Amino acid sequence: MSADPLITVRNLRKTYTVSERPPGVGAALRSLIRRQSREIHAVDGISFDVAPGEIIGFLGPNGAGKTTTLKMLAGLLHPTGGDARVLGFQPWRREKEYLRRMTLVMGQRNQLVWDIPVIDSFELNRAIYQIPDGQYAATVALLTDLLELDPLLHKPVRNLSLGERMKCEIAGALLHQPQVLFLDEPTIGLDVTMQRRIRGFLAEYNRRTNATILLTSHYMADVEALCKRVVVIHHGTLLYDGDLAGLAARFSPFKTVEVEVPKGAGADWSQFGEVIARTDGMVSLRIPKGETAAVTGRLLAQFDVADLTVQDPPIEDVIEQVFQEKLRIEE
Amino acid sequence: MRRLEADVHLWQIFRSYLRVGLLTEMEYRINFWINLIQSLLSAAVALGALAVVFGQTDNLGGWTPAEMIALLGVYYIIGALIRVIIRPSMTQFMEDVRKGTLDFTLVKPADAQWLISVQKVEIWQLMDLVIGIGLLGLALQRMGERVGLQQAFIFGVTLLAGGLIVYSFWLILSTFAFWFVRVDNIQVIFTSLYEAGRWPITIYPGWLRMMLTFLVPVAFATTVPAQAFTGRLEPGLMLGALALAAFMLIVARLFWRYGLRAYSGASA
Repeated sequence: MSADPLITVRNLRKTYTVSERPPGVGAALRSLIRRQSREIHAVDGISFDVAPGEIIGFLGPNGAGKTTTLKMLAGLLHPTGGDARVLGFQPWRREKEYLRRMTLVMGQRNQLVWDIPVIDSFELNRAIYQIPDGQYAATVALLTDLLELDPLLHKPVRNLSLGERMKCEIAGALLHQPQVLFLDEPTIGLDVTMQRRIRGFLAEYNRRTNATILLTSHYMADVEALCKRVVVIHHGTLLYDGDLAGLAARFSPFKTVEVEVPKGAGADWSQFGEVIARTDGMVSLRIPKGETAAVTGRLLAQFDVADLTVQDPPIEDVIEQVFQEKLRIEE
Repeated sequence: MRRLEADVHLWQIFRSYLRVGLLTEMEYRINFWINLIQSLLSAAVALGALAVVFGQTDNLGGWTPAEMIALLGVYYIIGALIRVIIRPSMTQFMEDVRKGTLDFTLVKPADAQWLISVQKVEIWQLMDLVIGIGLLGLALQRMGERVGLQQAFIFGVTLLAGGLIVYSFWLILSTFAFWFVRVDNIQVIFTSLYEAGRWPITIYPGWLRMMLTFLVPVAFATTVPAQAFTGRLEPGLMLGALALAAFMLIVARLFWRYGLRAYSGASA
């Protein structure tokens, strides 16, 4: 990986000043005269690099600072401090040359015009981005093919289902062939099949165009399927930056051991570790990482084991654990 | 050359929004008839009011019936500009601020002020333009005069200036949305003040005249172009109108940029 990073973020910070007031009419009236305000450090010194063609997932609970970071990189917010470069541009200067090479998709919001057919909304973006005729036709054809848009293009947006609309939103955001994609929860609210569709499309699009993708999502499945690398943000700081497997290794002090034993082989399983699940002939145990070797040795020696697997716990559990641990420390 | 390309780009964007507007209105064709009836009714009522007034007197603050019809025509033409483009676009802009969809506009490689200013076009409201032009024709016929080339030019310039002044004023009001989010009511206030523009500014008492000239420049939007049309514009007022239009455009632009900076937290 000798390529220069496409995105560099250095010590990026964003502080909001929010006004607050205690409940009640009296307090509301007083706040008309004197506002009480408080500073919130939404992003508090984050640094990372992204290489060209990478797909990177932002993880973190609500309010962690994921969206704020994404918005600064998309040029929508000015940072309070620090610096960032995307494609060599400082995003918040919003130079046209930069805007022409990036795109933004927000799962919760639509940009397509509600009352007119999808293809006519595309035409609007074509005029705004000044896409040449040939390129436009080719891109629409490609996206129609990959996202199966054919039956949707000539329907008014208001007649589309949520998932269909999202497919069209994504296509509309890619007409100008951006090199960097900022996706804020692109699969939110969609059913599992549609989520998988969109995931598949993003992976394929990345493979074909080598576009760089930054995405936030609540669904671990999105991240697991798409992102080799994740950035975990919590309370505005960077908790972890690396591959998914490493996340489990680093944050989960446990392994899951599944043992298949002959039916009826009873024992006091809790002497080996915490029993997570148990059926006749199958036991799942949670075992501290350091004791894994010893415990599996004992299991193999004592029972007529048909099968035994050692796994990292599901990534979703690890993440949840990370945030809970972090909260406990802070409290 | 780059300047020209940029202008072509702006025009292409406007044309695309025009197209979207047309397509949208085609989805709701009944609106065409509603707007037609509404516009005709309101013009009939306005003309009726004029008839009542001129049944009592043949001169209203120095304006003859024919000149008053010309004023009404200008009132409808500027009103059409407001209803076709300015008001729908600015309303959409405020909604975008409230819903957060303004972000989509801000990541587009085109001037954001231009995008929000032309983003919604309500084509059927063009009926008011037709009525306005019709009223001007009626006024001409009543005046029994021909409009010379110079007079037509002055009228065109003052009308353009009037349109730009109204636009700038509306943009300034809308920009407050960056801080207060809900400012729809401001639009209602402007709409009712604009109503005052259907009568010549000279009939109002001094304080109101000052207000309608300088605070809310309705006078420049209707009275001045109407004076130009009827050939009674004081020389120099055309330049005054142009200067005010340029000044307000600049102020509106600066204020818009200031608001945008506050919105993205650059000035915080």
